[in-house]
Amino acid sequence: MTILIMKNIEKHEKDTILFPSFHLAIAKSEITAIYSTLNVRSTVLDMFIGNIPTINGEITINGESLFKNKQAYLLQLGIYYFEEGLYERLTVRDYFAFFGRLYGFQKSFDQILQLTQLQEKKHKKIKDLTFSEKKRVQYGRLLIQSPSLFIFEEPDLNVDMETKRIFINITKILQEDGKGILLLTGNMESAITIAGHVYRLDEDGLRLFETEAEEQNTSIIEAEEREDEKESKPIRFNKIPTKVNEKIVLFDPPEIDYIESNDGQASIYIKGEAFPSSLTLTNLEERLKHVGFFRCHRSYIVNLQKVREVITWTRNSYSLVLDDKEKTQIPLSKGKMAELRDLLGIK
Amino acid sequence: MTFSAKRVMAIFQKDMKDLSKNMYVGTTILTPLILAMIYGGMIDNPTIEIHYFVINLALSIVTAFVQCAIIAEEKEKNTLRGLMLSPATIPEILGGKSLVTFILTIITIILCAMLTGYEPANLGIIAIAITISTLFYIALGTLMGLLSRTVMEASIVILPVMFLFGFGTILQPFAEDYPILSVIDYLPSTQLLELATLVEAGSGFVDVGGNLAIIFAWVVVATIATSIVFKKREMDE
Repeated sequence: MTILIMKNIEKHEKDTILFPSFHLAIAKSEITAIYSTLNVRSTVLDMFIGNIPTINGEITINGESLFKNKQAYLLQLGIYYFEEGLYERLTVRDYFAFFGRLYGFQKSFDQILQLTQLQEKKHKKIKDLTFSEKKRVQYGRLLIQSPSLFIFEEPDLNVDMETKRIFINITKILQEDGKGILLLTGNMESAITIAGHVYRLDEDGLRLFETEAEEQNTSIIEAEEREDEKESKPIRFNKIPTKVNEKIVLFDPPEIDYIESNDGQASIYIKGEAFPSSLTLTNLEERLKHVGFFRCHRSYIVNLQKVREVITWTRNSYSLVLDDKEKTQIPLSKGKMAELRDLLGIK
Repeated sequence: MTFSAKRVMAIFQKDMKDLSKNMYVGTTILTPLILAMIYGGMIDNPTIEIHYFVINLALSIVTAFVQCAIIAEEKEKNTLRGLMLSPATIPEILGGKSLVTFILTIITIILCAMLTGYEPANLGIIAIAITISTLFYIALGTLMGLLSRTVMEASIVILPVMFLFGFGTILQPFAEDYPILSVIDYLPSTQLLELATLVEAGSGFVDVGGNLAIIFAWVVVATIATSIVFKKREMDE
């Protein structure tokens, strides 16, 4: 059963297109992520609550639309805003009790406190909590509302590991309950780790990330390149070229942290900075396989020398944590986990 | 749209708890109490003017300011959006907040009256007059709350209100020299004082009807102004 239907949603700003018309449907138990810029994200959120008109388009949640029956529509919809205000002087328990009364929540708060791991903090004032704990209070509030569709804006940005784990666990529980989840984020790693379907939304429209078509494309290029190789054998060298303002900069493989693919274009990350590469991901994998690099996801190659930790969020979602200052997280797909185990010699 | 008393009570309880821990707004309640204590201690037999100076100050500082501040704070802290997206309707949100302000006002005024030793000759009429006045100040506070975005702004817009309505009665003697100040005679605070003086002189309901009508007219005007501002704000968004 479909929960959310977005039809013909588009936004133009003066002469520029923020995003062209797109359709999106989210069914029960489905987690969908939209990867976009902040501007696009806030526009989409404003459209959900009617601050920005959808003009020719329509958003319906379980058949209810904002204009036909506002109250019924809003009851189906729970939004987690990144910048949400909390009643900081209330204790966690009082805060939950308040929203419980507003939403007519009948069950016990213990379950909510347990899911958000706030039992020990329940008598603490919200202003005395850490950033991550405040975020968990926000998750709890949405759990109390228990709408059909959950929208999360950057739910795991800057939170600690524990909170991220709690969040992923909550999404799994919501999924089992048959809720629909829409994740709006600017962090590809979190989109891939949490969601089943990842879309990218920008001026080129809504596109499914890591589609089959992309794979085919790269194999065609590969085939062409192999033909090239037969004609002229290039000298093998182990530097990776990148383009920086018309210049070509060569990097040593050990310098590289990881490589991310963005629409067929590979970006090489070195100390938190991204450098576009002219090579495809498959091509790079081929070159770097022998120096300790590993294709951990369809869109990612990681330098295994830099991996500090492998985190298991749930039985089939994993991330790699790098040994850098930001503790960058990189998605690790389920299939590749087995491969990595073999590589590391763990059974 | 259904009006649910349960949600009004939820908002009432939340704001009560929140306010009890809010030092900034909480301490303003002490101002009229301290004043009442000073007057009560200094003057053996305070005149009716002094009793009502304290009560009018309580109405403008506590009622108008608390109402204004708790509305402005929801905006400042970004919590209003969450409330608007919840099943609570705007009449319910404002209803819950007004209830908080109303109860705080009544408690403050009773405490002030005890401190200054005020015992009205006819408690019934005075209670009605003060209740109607409170409604006016709540409407005024709501109006200012809708206009101001932060608690800081709220504490600034309260100043002219405090001056006009709180200290208005002091300016009354000057009205003879400056005809423009005769407007003061029609302010709700002056009307309240006049009414109380009449009551002390032994007047009944019929005699003070005119004063009550004028205060009530202020309530109507403030309520209409508030709903106009509210409609306009809603359209802007």
